[in-house]
Amino acid sequence: MKIIIPVCLIICVSASCKKDQIITPELPERVFAGGETTIFSTGPDAFTFPLENISQTDLNTHFLADGAFAQHFVSAPATQFGGLGPLFNQNSCESCHIRNGRGIVPAFDGDPNSGLLLRLSIPGVGEHGGIVAVPGFGGQLQNKALFGASQEGKITRTEQTQLIEYLDGTSLSLSLPVYTISDPYIPLPAGVLISPRNAPPVFGLGLLDAIRTEDILALADENDLDGDGISGKPNMVWDVLAQSKEVGRFGWKAEQPNARQQAADAAHNDMGLTSYYFPEEHCAGQDNCQEGLQAGLDVDEDMSTLFAFYFQTLAVPAQRDANNPDVILGSTLFVDAQCSSCHTPRFITGSHPISSLSNQTIYPYTDLLLHDMGPGLADNRAVYSASGQEWRTPPLWGLGLTKVVNPKATFLHDGRAQTLEEAILWHGGEAESSREKFRTMPKSERNALLAFLEGL
Amino acid sequence: MKYPFLSTFLLAGLLLCSACEKDPGIIIPETDYSEILINTGENVILKTYESLAIKASALQTATLDLENNPNVSTLETAKAAWRSARSPWEQSEGFLFGPVDQEGIDPALDSWPVNVTDLNNVLASGNAITVDFLSQQEGTLKGFHTIEFLLWGENGDKQIADFTTREFEYLAAASAVLAGDAQKLYDLWKPAGGNFISNVLEAGAGSLLYISQKSALEEFTNALIIIADEVANGKINDPYSQQDPSLEESRFSANSKADFADNMRSIRNIYTGVFEAFGNGNSVSNIIEAQDASLNTRVLTEIDAAILSIENIPGTFSDAVFNSPNAVSAAQQAVRDLQATLEELVLPIISNL
Repeated sequence: MKIIIPVCLIICVSASCKKDQIITPELPERVFAGGETTIFSTGPDAFTFPLENISQTDLNTHFLADGAFAQHFVSAPATQFGGLGPLFNQNSCESCHIRNGRGIVPAFDGDPNSGLLLRLSIPGVGEHGGIVAVPGFGGQLQNKALFGASQEGKITRTEQTQLIEYLDGTSLSLSLPVYTISDPYIPLPAGVLISPRNAPPVFGLGLLDAIRTEDILALADENDLDGDGISGKPNMVWDVLAQSKEVGRFGWKAEQPNARQQAADAAHNDMGLTSYYFPEEHCAGQDNCQEGLQAGLDVDEDMSTLFAFYFQTLAVPAQRDANNPDVILGSTLFVDAQCSSCHTPRFITGSHPISSLSNQTIYPYTDLLLHDMGPGLADNRAVYSASGQEWRTPPLWGLGLTKVVNPKATFLHDGRAQTLEEAILWHGGEAESSREKFRTMPKSERNALLAFLEGL
Repeated sequence: MKYPFLSTFLLAGLLLCSACEKDPGIIIPETDYSEILINTGENVILKTYESLAIKASALQTATLDLENNPNVSTLETAKAAWRSARSPWEQSEGFLFGPVDQEGIDPALDSWPVNVTDLNNVLASGNAITVDFLSQQEGTLKGFHTIEFLLWGENGDKQIADFTTREFEYLAAASAVLAGDAQKLYDLWKPAGGNFISNVLEAGAGSLLYISQKSALEEFTNALIIIADEVANGKINDPYSQQDPSLEESRFSANSKADFADNMRSIRNIYTGVFEAFGNGNSVSNIIEAQDASLNTRVLTEIDAAILSIENIPGTFSDAVFNSPNAVSAAQQAVRDLQATLEELVLPIISNL
């Protein structure tokens, strides 16, 4: 086999695998979804590799960061890793981000292993244009608590179904989950807004962090001046360290401006860990927020930095099956159906403190902007500039490996879509005409488009 | 933990090659690795999990005996049962993929550190300590290390007279939960249960997880590197480099050296296709042997050397991090050598199959 590889290389390169195969010019480059950081893995560990081009120093830090991301935190006082809670959703990062991929939606009411959480607010505009927290609950339901403290409530799920018909006469039943809160520790105020959020994959976030702000803003078209039916606007969110409004990039509604604040916010709200970003417990002032408190911060600056460093230095897996005729056709259909108008294929990153991330040609398939996705996907809960119908375009790289990494993973912000086909059919609002193009395609073309997505 | 090992250029070439495979003019012979996958899946992985389930069940029995008849003898039996169950678990850490990872079983069995504050609060409360209650708690309030903490105590010197009734109850309930989780893990793998093993056996032939047999072999090999890295750069390094025994995983029972050695045995089991009395030797080792016999010998020698140098650390690991730095360094280096060989020499061969 050792001999065959170089021979094959020569044949492939010289003959370009037959002239009659029509390959979209960008395809060879697209294979390297993360530019020089790309790794070639197709197995269940595909989301767990460090950047291919990482420096030795950064690799050593990545290993430390890996430990931090996997660390289970416990109640204070503790000899090691105290500070969990008192109220929390999970006790480690990786408990939600299974193998660095998507979380699992609750299998039953009160499922302790789920990676889905509920964001909460009451109507109105809060500090810095953000949400108004729910008195006694804050901005997120913590469905776990240290022993002796009361969890805020349980996550309960009911479902409604609706039927989608294709033009060719076949149909598909879509399931819409409705999340509510049961057994709240105190009565919930009337009119609480609930936004269910499943844990997203965390690889490739360093590259998204490295995209220049001006490149994101250049794609914004808030008033649809180009008349294509697609607007796209940045979420302007509060940057805690800068003490100013910045372009949001991370989270389902782009609520966080950078990787480090994203990490600190997740540690704070999901695990109850205070840090220099968020020095006060998220439940401060609540009756059920008395256990396990300690003087000083729960995680020091090093630990907080490591959480972010881990996912900043996680590599994106390469596109697969790039030469498959269906995949090639699908990539064309992806553009024809205007999927690429929001799922922007290509960026070139700017400079980043982690040098491996700088100046990379990447294929994330996102514009990082907010789009109105219609009432079907709406959570009806506004955050900063994002309305109750607007969501940030999620990146599509690595999409086809989602269920290889975690067979129970599902798609969209609340994990409602069991398949990519379902996820497409949920698109509405600005994406309605794209969805209709998909719905009215012959089956062969729908399959080609799906093959393209499965290859990402 | 992962590492960059892939030659992008080479793999890009392979990617193009796979397109060429469809060209009838080029024929690349496909080697069938079914025997390796079958032996590794059925005789190493499944038998290790079966052993874990059996021994965890024995621990459950022993802690129940301890609760019903607390004396020095039942305490020693329970401690021995803990060590006995710990061994197949540590020997399974060379393949931490599949249900153990995807179903949250690893944290339920082996979370660290123990949530001592909450544990004490539970014990001091009037809360009923039941299997149902503990099943719903975080991994840091159950699993191997919580049981270990209760059996040996913070300083490893707990006497039978030191136990409270509620501690016996907690031990029995936590051991029952552990036995249930171990059984669940075995059930999820075995063909008559969740049949996760079919993903390995059908790699490249319908497996949803492994698009090729090579992909499954890569996962095996990567998992070996991960545990070698974890032992050298986590389990040994954290307490040693920081001179802090509170960072040592099995310090209450002073079982750390056995843990590390069993992790190395886990590497050997997968690499050689043998677990205890099971396995016919069809393994990754055969592939390496065929391509580079001296490398195969080197891997086997380095595994033995790693085990030996771990076992040669004098006294307990907690003491050794202060008193025998040379022996600890030597053990750490032996594991690092093995990791480097697996990563730099073995994995490329598997990746280029």
